[in-house]
Amino acid sequence: MRSSRSQTRRVLTGLGFLLPNILGFLAFTLVPLVLSFGMAFTDMDFFRHNPFRDEPIRFVGLENFAWLFGHPEFWHYLRNTFFLMLGLPFAIAGSLGAALLLTRVGKRPGLIPGALVLATLILTGSLLALRAAGMSEAGVWFIFGLTAATALVAGVFTGGTIYRTLFYLPHFTSGVATFVLWKKLYNPQTGPINFALAPVLDGFGGLIRAAPGWFSVGVPVLAGLVGTLLAGWQLRRLRQHWDDATAGQVAVGFGVTMVILPAGFLLHWLGVPLGLAAGFVVGAVVLLTALIVRRPRRWGPVCSLDTGLSAEIALALGLVPLLILSAAGVIFGPTLPAAAAAGIEPPNWLGDYDWAKPAIMVMALWAAIGSNNMILYLAGLSNIPPELYEAADMDGASPTQRFWHVTWPQLAPVTFFIFVMGIIHGLQGGFEMARVMTLGGPAGSTTTLAYFIYIEGFETGRLGYASAAAWVLFLLVFILSLLNFRFGNRGTND
Amino acid sequence: MKLFFAACVIGLGLLSAALFLTQSDREGDVPVITWITQNDENKRAIVDTFHQWIKDQKLPPVELRIDNTNQDPTKKLVQGVSGVGADLLDLYLYETDLFPATGMIADLTEDAKRMGFGPEATYPALYDDVITLGRQYTFPRNTGVTLFWVNRGTFAKYNVPTPPWRWNSDEFEALGRRFVAAANPPGTRQRVYFANGVSRDVLRRGLGLTTFNETGTFCTLDDPRNVTVLTRVRKWVVEDRLFPTKEEDAAMAADITGYGSMFSHFTSGRFAMIYTGHWAFIMIRPRGVFQLAAVEPPQDDFPNTEMGAGGVGVYEGTKHREHALRFMQFLASEPFNRLIVRQADSLPPVPKYAETEEFLHPQGRENEWGVHGAFAQSGRETGILYSRSPFVLFSQTFRIEMETYEAMIAGRLTPAEAAKQMADRINTEIRLTVARNDRLRALYEERLELQRQIDARRAAGRPVPAAWVTDSFHRAYYQKHGWLEEEAKP
Repeated sequence: MRSSRSQTRRVLTGLGFLLPNILGFLAFTLVPLVLSFGMAFTDMDFFRHNPFRDEPIRFVGLENFAWLFGHPEFWHYLRNTFFLMLGLPFAIAGSLGAALLLTRVGKRPGLIPGALVLATLILTGSLLALRAAGMSEAGVWFIFGLTAATALVAGVFTGGTIYRTLFYLPHFTSGVATFVLWKKLYNPQTGPINFALAPVLDGFGGLIRAAPGWFSVGVPVLAGLVGTLLAGWQLRRLRQHWDDATAGQVAVGFGVTMVILPAGFLLHWLGVPLGLAAGFVVGAVVLLTALIVRRPRRWGPVCSLDTGLSAEIALALGLVPLLILSAAGVIFGPTLPAAAAAGIEPPNWLGDYDWAKPAIMVMALWAAIGSNNMILYLAGLSNIPPELYEAADMDGASPTQRFWHVTWPQLAPVTFFIFVMGIIHGLQGGFEMARVMTLGGPAGSTTTLAYFIYIEGFETGRLGYASAAAWVLFLLVFILSLLNFRFGNRGTND
Repeated sequence: MKLFFAACVIGLGLLSAALFLTQSDREGDVPVITWITQNDENKRAIVDTFHQWIKDQKLPPVELRIDNTNQDPTKKLVQGVSGVGADLLDLYLYETDLFPATGMIADLTEDAKRMGFGPEATYPALYDDVITLGRQYTFPRNTGVTLFWVNRGTFAKYNVPTPPWRWNSDEFEALGRRFVAAANPPGTRQRVYFANGVSRDVLRRGLGLTTFNETGTFCTLDDPRNVTVLTRVRKWVVEDRLFPTKEEDAAMAADITGYGSMFSHFTSGRFAMIYTGHWAFIMIRPRGVFQLAAVEPPQDDFPNTEMGAGGVGVYEGTKHREHALRFMQFLASEPFNRLIVRQADSLPPVPKYAETEEFLHPQGRENEWGVHGAFAQSGRETGILYSRSPFVLFSQTFRIEMETYEAMIAGRLTPAEAAKQMADRINTEIRLTVARNDRLRALYEERLELQRQIDARRAAGRPVPAAWVTDSFHRAYYQKHGWLEEEAKP
């Protein structure tokens, strides 16, 4: 009896401590969530439904959703959102790279202070000497930037806790402050990025003008060659995996699509109508997939349809951007001499329709490399049992083999978690950046779904409509997460 | 731990209570009213003058306080519709329609008549800013007219003649190209521009077109005249380089705080002209003495300038309505108008004060003398409010027009495609609003019928009753062409 009373008291005490949090969750999360779900099916509009206008709120069924899907801007902003998410694989790779570098920190700590002081002295002296000798300010800044970056990476190899802090800096700096900072960095006339780029582009322009033939022919040929090799490698790989029964029909179809899709872009950029290019993609995918899957399997049909799909998705995240870059090289290579004739100007990062999204992606990449993802990878790396590395060493594994056969598989659960969270944040993100840096422009090129919801909800006042958009976004997140859990985590269980 | 936790809760509770009880507006018997506006020297002077005026008028005392932390339009709006707005709110441009539409701004029609700050007390051209759907919600605290400011020193430096008071688009282009060629040596990156920009709306109105039709029921931007304007502006930006692009303009900014860079570029000679209001004196005067002039924006057939009220409205949920109304009355008073004249913060709300010597020829500022008169003349003769429709928010119209224009400047749309997209998108928004809002749907039907009648009369070459034409521009345009039948009623 006494113990039961004491237990009740303990529970009540615990609840007492939790109460502020529970109340906060109810008031600011759960209740608004339920209300917004309800609002998504009403015509709620704060111009008509507020303390001063007592018009009845009407249930409109799925009308908000129908309007949303018929709204051309919704699809435009959804494309923007997905485009910005293309940076995700690079961000994951960056975080992993940073974590791998930082695991070396502290291995030779004695070298750090002396080396840093010496490097700083040499760098400062050299730059002053260069400036005194008449080198342009831009050149000096460029050398400074390069040297600083080199010192940073080199420092990581030699050790120093300060680098962990430096790499983590973007995460604990306020978002708005970093956006304002990047806006300054991107300033096309006074920003340091273009300040450093201008002399490089001048030099590059000079090279092109000196040998226009090399560039007009060389770049597209090289890009085409790289693209063809990558595509060939992937198709060969798919055939191999099919033969080994480590890829099912769905995985093969997906893998082939990811190779053919950039070719479709290439055709469209070359002026082939969209319908025809799409027809080519569909036809080529069906043909190549059929050619692969009709081959008899060496080990018999021992795998399911979607076997190997997760590996193909992961690979596609890196492969598709590379293939698209190759296609761009083929298209834009021949125009280089003409562009260089008038001098190559550094980009108007946030002001140009075509550069605004990549500029934001670069900034997001910078923020993502030194983020919680890096910390998660650092934790994951420290959890890998050393015996595995010892066994690999005894088998004579090279550093690359150690990475691919020990580190990477052991980090699979962390990668999966980061990937899922990245997809979620990617779909929900972009509001702060757009609001601070571009106001969604130029021409709506950086307006994401989250920003669209804000505009519809708080600028246009259509709370019901905005809620519907928010729930569509939730549905997207949910479906993608479901797909991730269904197909993406296969490797993590192996 | 439990004791510590309890102590924290009690301590915080006591501190909150202490904070609440010691709030300065609880200290005395004098009621406090809050005004959302900028907290600058000029506004503080307005507050002081208001307090003095209250004493002079022997009215019950009231303390007016400035709240400059909630100026963002979205914040004002969301706070207002949530029931926690300030007593007085500045209302600019689209806010004069937007905020009353929510019901959060008090209807002042009867009070304004009683206290002397009705629409007749200010410029007739501001009527549609003061009156929304037949009711008065605001009164201007100043009157904005936008003209091109000319730095005559910059023109003289490059040996280019200064622009005339009135000019058409061809003359504007010819002089602009001449100026840009003279000011930027060949083979160098352009550093000097003819102007910071131009109003597309003024150009359209010069050709007899504006955003909406006569009754605000349809966006009319899908019109060859808009294509002409967009083609011309694109040429001025992309080919002739008379103005920087929006992004180049932003990139030239020395700071991110807004207008500052425009004035520094104007006074330093990087912009020969800037397109802005009379209030620019506040920004230009501290930078030195410049030889200034003001000219109309280029226009072809129908001279017009952009005009708008910097209005103030009273919050519907205010607990101090009478005191807030006193402030509105103060805006039409002589002490306030004379203060605006001295501050040169746009035109005073009451037109007669813009005709005084104190306004036209301020002592010790001979370099400004022609400029004040130019703004007063435009306010009197050619000023027209922006085109508006009660069926779509101006903020949406503005965003769609700007987004589509930017896409055209970026080469993603042709001028014809841009014009079509502007109209299509704005008309879609009108349809969305009308489909949901019963009150506006009834008004829409009514206005559609009026529009049909207007079209029929125009087709038959007959004049149209003035009351049928709700759009400011169309009213002025019809008037100029003698198409209005003043006496007839709908």
